[in-house]
Amino acid sequence: MDGRRRGEYNHGVRFQARTLDMDDDDAVQQVYRERGWTDGLPVVAPTPAKVEAMLAYGGFTPEQVIGFEVVKQRALTAEKVAINAVLAGCLPPDFPVVAAAIEAMCKEEFLVHGATASTGGCAVLLVVNGPIRRQLAMSSTFSVLAGADRASVCIGRAVRLVLRNLLEVRPGELDRSTLGHPGKLSWCIAEDEEGGAPWLPLSAERGIPDEVSSVTAFAASAPRQIMNEWTTDPVDVLTTVVAEIKSTMLHYSIWAGNYAVVFPPQIRAVFHQAGWSKADVRQFVYDNAVVHRYDWERVGKAAVVNERNRDFRYRALPSPDHLLVIAAGGEAGGFAAVIPPWLGPKSAATTAAIGVCVDC
Amino acid sequence: MSMTVLDPSFEEAAAPFALPERPRSLAGGTVGFISNGKQGTKGFFAHLERLLRDEWGVADVVYRTKKNYSAPAETELINEAAGWAATFAGIGD
Repeated sequence: MDGRRRGEYNHGVRFQARTLDMDDDDAVQQVYRERGWTDGLPVVAPTPAKVEAMLAYGGFTPEQVIGFEVVKQRALTAEKVAINAVLAGCLPPDFPVVAAAIEAMCKEEFLVHGATASTGGCAVLLVVNGPIRRQLAMSSTFSVLAGADRASVCIGRAVRLVLRNLLEVRPGELDRSTLGHPGKLSWCIAEDEEGGAPWLPLSAERGIPDEVSSVTAFAASAPRQIMNEWTTDPVDVLTTVVAEIKSTMLHYSIWAGNYAVVFPPQIRAVFHQAGWSKADVRQFVYDNAVVHRYDWERVGKAAVVNERNRDFRYRALPSPDHLLVIAAGGEAGGFAAVIPPWLGPKSAATTAAIGVCVDC
Repeated sequence: MSMTVLDPSFEEAAAPFALPERPRSLAGGTVGFISNGKQGTKGFFAHLERLLRDEWGVADVVYRTKKNYSAPAETELINEAAGWAATFAGIGD
């Protein structure tokens, strides 16, 4: 079944990957499942023609290095990333997003090794901005945090399969998550830039020029939904958000880092009508998401409170800019989501432009 | 219908490295502990130090903590460890 030939396929594209000859698609499913190359769901057979189409769409060459993982010292090539994108069900126009996501995750400050190996069990949340959202028909509204459209599901899954197959991030192997959460199967959303106006898109706030698409990667714990539909005052809404963040700081991790908040239209209207920008939201959360070490005593963590540290003060955010404010969600409902970091400052959210270099 | 498909896994061999020679004895030597900084390392390493001193004749034990418990040890720490007779690296979950 296994071949060692590395040959030329389709218009002279030369692949380095080993080839396998299969009798039929059932055999592909069985062999890939047995070798741990899938997440358990069926995969699309990565034929050379499909992989070539994936690469050709974005103008990638097979040997092009998309990202370099420093702990394992592994170069993640476009060819291998594309094979996994095909497996995940991606279509060729999805591939530039997958490649940019891998690029973002391989930035040093993301610490992909730690974020994907940790007992903390975070997932990688991808937030897509820019024109490519419309091209891929990505949905930013109903059920946005749960795989609302084909492209979001497949892109998120492709990133997980890259981690699984190129970095051995499998449960019990490199992935040492005690619990994990459902976002580890696939977690990709698109921001509702049009509905979010006059707010700036997340990408613009992170230095991406207008009309350039981008993806932001965030090593994140599971989302925590809040509800406050009984007010038109932004301070009330954010007080509820801050309460959830403080709860996370006490029940999970006290250390400061990135947090994300996702605001659907009904809650956004409260801010828009009061003239609050995303910057105003960030400043409020920065100022108010504060706990003391002695607060741990009332949640069962008195063992790590002592006279020396009991009055120490902890902020959720190292700076206001560490809060990722995202416009997304269905049209009705006074809900929002707080998405905590994997673990404080250990990993920073990173952003990569799609298909262009904005700093070279 | 038969088909040819591609291997999605990482196929390149890992970069080679040489294991150091195992110490013949720890007696009179210095042993280093590299902790990931978590609370659980404290009791474990304290117990291990007692064993090393009492049963293996270790002369000195050096405690070091990584700056980031989810990342490899810093280069300075690795360089320092080269001067120890043996190194123990532990996590404290």
